[in-house]
Amino acid sequence: MTQTENLVKRLPNDIGGLPAEPILQTDHAMEPWEKRCHALADVLDFHKIVNTEEKRCGVEALGSDMVGKLTYYERWIVAFANILFRKGILTPTEFALKMKEVEARWPDDKTHDRT
Amino acid sequence: MSGTDHDHHHAHAETASAGRPGYYDMMETAVRELLVEKKLIGPDEIRRQIEVLDSRSPALGAKVVARAWVDPDFRARLLAHGRSACEQEFGITFYDDTDLIVLENTEKVHNLIVCTLCSCYPRPVLGLPPDWYKLKPYRARAVSEPRAVLAEFGTILPDDVEVRVSDSTAMIRYLVLPMRPKGTEHYSEEQLAALVTRDTMIGVVPARIESARTPS
Repeated sequence: MTQTENLVKRLPNDIGGLPAEPILQTDHAMEPWEKRCHALADVLDFHKIVNTEEKRCGVEALGSDMVGKLTYYERWIVAFANILFRKGILTPTEFALKMKEVEARWPDDKTHDRT
Repeated sequence: MSGTDHDHHHAHAETASAGRPGYYDMMETAVRELLVEKKLIGPDEIRRQIEVLDSRSPALGAKVVARAWVDPDFRARLLAHGRSACEQEFGITFYDDTDLIVLENTEKVHNLIVCTLCSCYPRPVLGLPPDWYKLKPYRARAVSEPRAVLAEFGTILPDDVEVRVSDSTAMIRYLVLPMRPKGTEHYSEEQLAALVTRDTMIGVVPARIESARTPS
């Protein structure tokens, strides 16, 4: 099978049966925002705004680079924003303005690592 | 300890937990607040759902398993209709509207659950999955070399035991009913529940007398 054929047949999430490293029995205590993100996912599903399968597809649509580099809940929240834009529920402009507003609540710029 | 030291300690802790949130933390806040402003979700819904999530843990699943060990009628109902048995007998709500299929381990069959595509898990009865369940090595290998995966958890099965791996979906979740350990005939239901850990209900380890948790 050629390299590109493999890309077509297996989307990023479809890893069942692939060779992989030994299992490290990792776990971490959830951060408060991660728990909020999980609760947001459930609430979006309750209201039939974004269901579980749409969320999974939304994560896959981030592409393998982002899927590989972002953490689990980072992928979820970015996927939610994209899905909500695509459905016309939020616009990128109002989201950008809201991000500015939220960022402005913490004036200390020391940990502000984005330009 | 002087009063000054005491005060200082508290002031320090408060500062540490009130730092500037990270980018994705703020992104969650932005998305949530926009949805509340548009009245698509209620202002207290996220908080309430966090409390639901906090109320679920492997201890809940352990109670279900222990009941199934002592009550054959309940076990039959649980194996026939996992979700309704949990709802009716334990009042467990399936907030994510998923179905639950309970898989019974026997002397001849060992079950293991996985979600190869993502991280589907019986959250209403077990709470949230451990990180390793969501990462590539477990997801990729559980379906192709389950015995090697089990061995990494210290579980070596005889060759004549059939290993069945069930791959979860967005709508259908699985829970393993582990075998009741030998030598527990005199145990109470509560003592039995203390033997049932999260990993026994994922199917990566058997329930053992030595793994008993301190009853809460």
